[in-house]
Amino acid sequence: MKGLILAGGTGSRLRPITHTGPKQLVPVANKPVIQYGIEDLREAGITEIGIVLGDKGREEIQSFLGDGSEFGVNITYIIQGEPLGLAHAAACARDFVGDDDFVMYLGDNIFKRGLTEMVERYETGEYAASIALQHVDTPRQFGIANVDGERTVTELIEKPDEPPTDLALVGVYLFSSAIFDAIDELEPSWRGELEITDAIQSLIEDGHAIDSHVVDGWWKDTGKPEDIIGANRLVLEDIEATNDGEVHPEADLTGRVDIGTGTTIKAGAVIRGPVRLGENVTVGPDSYIGPYTAIGDDSTVGGPHIENSVVVGKSELTADTRLVDCLLGRGANIASADGLLPEGNRLVVGENSNLKL
Amino acid sequence: MRVETHTCPNCGTVVAANVLERDRRLRCPGLDCGEILDFTDLSEEVREHYETNRDRYRLE
Repeated sequence: MKGLILAGGTGSRLRPITHTGPKQLVPVANKPVIQYGIEDLREAGITEIGIVLGDKGREEIQSFLGDGSEFGVNITYIIQGEPLGLAHAAACARDFVGDDDFVMYLGDNIFKRGLTEMVERYETGEYAASIALQHVDTPRQFGIANVDGERTVTELIEKPDEPPTDLALVGVYLFSSAIFDAIDELEPSWRGELEITDAIQSLIEDGHAIDSHVVDGWWKDTGKPEDIIGANRLVLEDIEATNDGEVHPEADLTGRVDIGTGTTIKAGAVIRGPVRLGENVTVGPDSYIGPYTAIGDDSTVGGPHIENSVVVGKSELTADTRLVDCLLGRGANIASADGLLPEGNRLVVGENSNLKL
Repeated sequence: MRVETHTCPNCGTVVAANVLERDRRLRCPGLDCGEILDFTDLSEEVREHYETNRDRYRLE
């Protein structure tokens, strides 16, 4: 079995963070989102992985993943160009996949439990495909699957007015090579894309068996800033306390705090886990880092109270202020305006930024 | 819908035919690969299909 991670898209809902890089490299708990997908595939025994790239961010993703050897996998890059739909992305991988079955994984999704159980069940049956599902509270907003008692999919409906179930499609699919023939027969949808749900529905109508797997544990699409912060919170729930840095005896740490190499926590700093600090982070006196915060490499926290936030890295946060539910891009600095006249905030803010002062 | 690709003979990067049709001639997008890929690397029949159906492979 092979793996296919879709890493195209413009990341428009994550601006301004994605003005300078692809959404798949935005960190959750200090690890780029796409790395979770790579690790899930590897843990399921899949090491031949195709990465489908669009026009945006493809150099950065290739620079990060390389040939895959650092992550224990072998990577082939597939250039889709314009985002012409998930089915178009899959079809671009036809030569890479050959006659194998393959997992298709959306590169901005994270799953708590991984893929192993879904892959094992698929391999024991005679299925043309398998789809991952999750119970949702608002099924009218999702693609919804109807399934029978054997978990075989009988129907897919996109954003139905009267949903037959609350089982929404989430970002993992398993396919046999039969999917390529189904895509050959597709026409673009009203939005000009080849829809993977149309391809799966075509398989159903042609009599193919489609298995389903209800995801155990949480699943997150990290398309928006609040999703990144939410996913960060969920991942940090499960971290272990480690210390590869230096903690002053008069610093106050409680809960699980994961401290990276070269990181220094000075006397008078207060940290309440779960918190992850990257490498070469400095936390100064009078700083408070509260639960569900991840601070990226080479950052300095010297003054603020910060909690439930993601700091990508190379930031200097020195203002005596409270920062809550923040997503701060690489190199973002927050300093004090105290003593400056005229009084007031001094902001250099990029396009599409959001501030609540 | 028909989807064709071309594989870089130097680094193995796969490039969709719609990218070749759009850019015509490009340096392989594979990192550090200097290979020049050209629309004419595709067969004449594939090129004709993509030129005839250009709008279907482009989002407005």
